[in-house]
Amino acid sequence: MNGRLELWLFVAHRITAAVLAPLVLVHVATMIYVVQGGLSAAEILSRTQGSLWWAGFYGLFVAAAAVHGSIGLRTIIREMAPWTGGSLRLAAGVFGLAILVLGFRAVDALT
Amino acid sequence: MARRGRVRVAPLRNLPIIRDLAVDMTPFFDKWARAKGRFVPSAAGTQGFAEVAPDSPERRAADAGLECIGCGICYAVCDVVAWNPDYVGPAALNRAWTLVNDVRDGDRAGHLAAAAAGAGCHACHSHQSCAEYCPTGLNPTASIAGLKRMAFVAALKGEP
Repeated sequence: MNGRLELWLFVAHRITAAVLAPLVLVHVATMIYVVQGGLSAAEILSRTQGSLWWAGFYGLFVAAAAVHGSIGLRTIIREMAPWTGGSLRLAAGVFGLAILVLGFRAVDALT
Repeated sequence: MARRGRVRVAPLRNLPIIRDLAVDMTPFFDKWARAKGRFVPSAAGTQGFAEVAPDSPERRAADAGLECIGCGICYAVCDVVAWNPDYVGPAALNRAWTLVNDVRDGDRAGHLAAAAAGAGCHACHSHQSCAEYCPTGLNPTASIAGLKRMAFVAALKGEP
């Protein structure tokens, strides 16, 4: 096993966690606020489409979630299932890439 | 220990059982070696005593982890060791932390790199079972947290 890889995965995991924490809070608070206000999907889209701010916000969200999720998922699988090594690393990478693609498609549709 | 008044006697977990309550401690001490748990002299003995201020931050950090008796309880109660057989475990990392903070040691960066390599300090989930069951009252989780923090900063600074 590459010794430095684990260290860098840890660093990336912690930094993306620090990025995600405020983003998740803003995301959840905004969702609650929007639902309480009774906005329809069309009304929400009219506010988010063309907004550079929301594109940046959710773009960063997706990127951080893809990195954070794939590293965390790899650790969980390695400890909870008899699956380790290069194939698991590859699978975690594919998972992260899938989150990235799906997430950016959603961001594109929203903004 | 005594659940419903019954005491269960069992060999140490996470180690190969030789017979009855006796376990083979070899993997436990092999991991001490892997985490470079050996002092590296920086000066010849003829140069006199090294002066280490008792209240310096390094000395206090090392002090907190020094009284390890190598019993292997922390290793046996650690769930991460059970889940990830590669993980070096609390005792070896606690030892590494005392050496990383030993100003007399000649290879403190090497100790840190060894502790952070592979399934080292970053595999710890801070469950704190080691601190809960340590018979001498040490807190290996705190030592491992120190290693994580130091290795994190060293990595960002580009140090090996």
